[in-house]
Amino acid sequence: MSETEQIRLNRLPAITWYWLNMNETAVPYSGTDGEAAAEVKIPSGVSESREKIEAKEEYRDLAEQPTGAGKHFSQLFEENGIRTRIFTTAAGAKPGAALKIRIPFESGRKTLNSFAFDLGRDSELTVIMDFTSDPEASGEAGVRTLFRLGENAVLKLVQITRTGSGFTLVNDIGGHESDSARTEVVQLNLDGGKVCQGYQIDLAGYKSSLKTDIAYRLKDSEHLDMNYFANHTGKKSECEINVTGVLRDTSSKILRATIDLKKGAKGAVGNEKEDVLLMDEGVRNQTIPLILCTEEDVEGNHGATIGRLDESLMFYLESRGLDREEIYEMMAAARIAAAAALIPDEETRSEVEQYIGAGSEE
Amino acid sequence: MGKDKPIVKDIDRSMYDFVKKEDDAYRTEEGLTPEIVLEISKEKNDPEWMRDFRLHSLEEYNRLKVPDWGPSIDGLDMDNIVTYVRPNAKRMVKDWNDVPEDIKDTFERLGIPQAERKSLAGVGAQYDSELVYHNVKDEAAEQGVVYTDIESALRGPYADMIRSHFMKLVPPTDHKFAALHGAVWSGGSFVYVPKGVHLDFPLQSYFRLNAKGAGQFEHTLIIVDEGAYLHFIEGCSAPKYNVANLHAGCVELYVGKNATLRYSTIENWSKNMYNLNTKRAVVDEGGKIEWISGSFGSHVSYLYPMSILKGRGARAEFTGVTFAGHGQNLDTGCKMVHSAPDTSSYVSTRSISKDGGISTFRSSVVINKQAKNSKSSVSCQSLMLDDISRSDTIPAMDIRTADADVGHEAKIGRISDDAVFYLMSRGLSEEDARALIVSGFADNVGKELPLEYAVEMNNLIRLEMKGANG
Repeated sequence: MSETEQIRLNRLPAITWYWLNMNETAVPYSGTDGEAAAEVKIPSGVSESREKIEAKEEYRDLAEQPTGAGKHFSQLFEENGIRTRIFTTAAGAKPGAALKIRIPFESGRKTLNSFAFDLGRDSELTVIMDFTSDPEASGEAGVRTLFRLGENAVLKLVQITRTGSGFTLVNDIGGHESDSARTEVVQLNLDGGKVCQGYQIDLAGYKSSLKTDIAYRLKDSEHLDMNYFANHTGKKSECEINVTGVLRDTSSKILRATIDLKKGAKGAVGNEKEDVLLMDEGVRNQTIPLILCTEEDVEGNHGATIGRLDESLMFYLESRGLDREEIYEMMAAARIAAAAALIPDEETRSEVEQYIGAGSEE
Repeated sequence: MGKDKPIVKDIDRSMYDFVKKEDDAYRTEEGLTPEIVLEISKEKNDPEWMRDFRLHSLEEYNRLKVPDWGPSIDGLDMDNIVTYVRPNAKRMVKDWNDVPEDIKDTFERLGIPQAERKSLAGVGAQYDSELVYHNVKDEAAEQGVVYTDIESALRGPYADMIRSHFMKLVPPTDHKFAALHGAVWSGGSFVYVPKGVHLDFPLQSYFRLNAKGAGQFEHTLIIVDEGAYLHFIEGCSAPKYNVANLHAGCVELYVGKNATLRYSTIENWSKNMYNLNTKRAVVDEGGKIEWISGSFGSHVSYLYPMSILKGRGARAEFTGVTFAGHGQNLDTGCKMVHSAPDTSSYVSTRSISKDGGISTFRSSVVINKQAKNSKSSVSCQSLMLDDISRSDTIPAMDIRTADADVGHEAKIGRISDDAVFYLMSRGLSEEDARALIVSGFADNVGKELPLEYAVEMNNLIRLEMKGANG
């Protein structure tokens, strides 16, 4: 039996007081028993290969791409010889259907999966990643998603997490954008014992852009640890990060969200917004939104509202005959539904809506 | 609109940057050893408990690590710092005429006695490691207000009060420089405002560090009793040397039930100063602490006044402006801890970075489980005046109850072209328009200060902004 060590993850790009315990997190790691089986549907116009990207010169930049979780997590893939499944689109390719990856994690396993999306110039690809397990499943899983976008390429990445209450999932993203490239990330956290997720996306190209919408609902003792890092080096690059969620029971979450407006990123704009609804007395919310700036001709904004529902709104809805529990459930479902509506795949969208509805009936 | 931008000059510190001959009567060796600490203790005629406290603090200092999350303090070598310098003056006098000419001239050039005559209820003046002048007006004294140097208080009728409060809010274990302070502290003020007394005029302490390569470690302890009101103003400056100077003061504020304390600071240390200061307030039921903070000086600054709201309905406000110019790395902000129901905190800060200066706004809001129905609002705005400077915001929020409302907003940007255009359409030159906008940006602090201090602060900023061309 291998020894358990702690892998440090999700470190802030600029750390602060240690007593806050917000600089980074850690998850136990005692080795891996390989990859989890993934069900993959590849649309026409997308090719697949499997590579040890660390060993291939043509993928060196992907292998070295910084991610939200950080280098300690990335090293696990090389150390364990995990091959990356690379999906490539040729220049100008725009597959009509989404690339779908579903990983039903098995209870009791410790797995690592690595994916990469290599989009040629002017190509577009929608990717749906669905992480599931039995509700009571336990285990440890790490998923790394890397991408590089050629000029004017567009990646729409949807990730849905609904893993078991005893499951620890690290869901890590790292990407690089060329001129006028765009990434749209939608992450829905519907269930999961402990989930650590995040990204580092390098907005290196002129007018490269990033839009992120994250919605979560946490219950029982679930914990969500997030670290998002929009790294602006490209002129007129733009990012928008929207995070919304609800905390119930004794659940907890931490959001680290950083906009780094680096010298040279003239005309860059970064906006981040967070809205957290605290529903029960045992919850804990931690938020640390960073704006780092070494360029004058930029704009960075952050806004957050954390707390209960507005009392006047509450009064209005109560006066219409709803009780408090119903109001909170309605608000929670509405937040998830608003983000789910952004999923650019009809089948997935209705499946999520059905899942949310089923959850609220319990 | 022209693309040329006005050149924004550094703040003119000539008013503060004059050197007096180091005519001190006594100073310790450079460095930090148990022998030096004992020497200071003996020099100060400490009671036994304080001597032991100093030695314990030194142990903590040696145990604790240098922080790695803020600006570098590699240029600070404690082996080169003189921790105690007694000026050539009587220990402390109440008559301005008894202050030695050289020191008197220093404070007169800084406008301290004039300010006392015009608008203050009392003044304390510290020169290097010792208070050289302390006076409180009769009207204040007659109301029972105590304003004295902390060392006299340590041995007088308030000895027990000092012992039960001294470094209880900021224990030496808090961080490395709190421990350093505990070991070598010297000078500073003790203020006690009795129950129900509303002091209409502020008290002021002014700290001047003249000695090259020295540290200043004054301790300020203020107790505002139930229902009382006090405005305390703190000012500081030093001439610039080519070696590091160190300021590691400590401020402990106790705000009683329904009492209010306004604590205003205009910090204008020279640019060779490492300002590693610690300030903390604890607020009882219905009480209020108001921090007004202007940070303009220092080479490196770590400054985050902390408010602990421990009584129901306690409130805290922090209003600050930080101006980081060439060679400055100013890491400033505040900490709010809500530990009782119905508490509220409000933070409003402005940061300006120019000419390679680095300004970091760092804050934390912690709302504990028992602080139900608490509210907090944090707003921080930063202005970048060129592309060789840096401005970061690092605000943290930790909410441990559902029954709370927290709002936060942050904004980093440059001077808005639209605003400049609007003002120019009203007849201002571009230069004037930009100067006016930058000046107005920092006005959140200026409007909270007494008129005389607001004028001084605005002059510091506005005149230099106005000195633009382009």
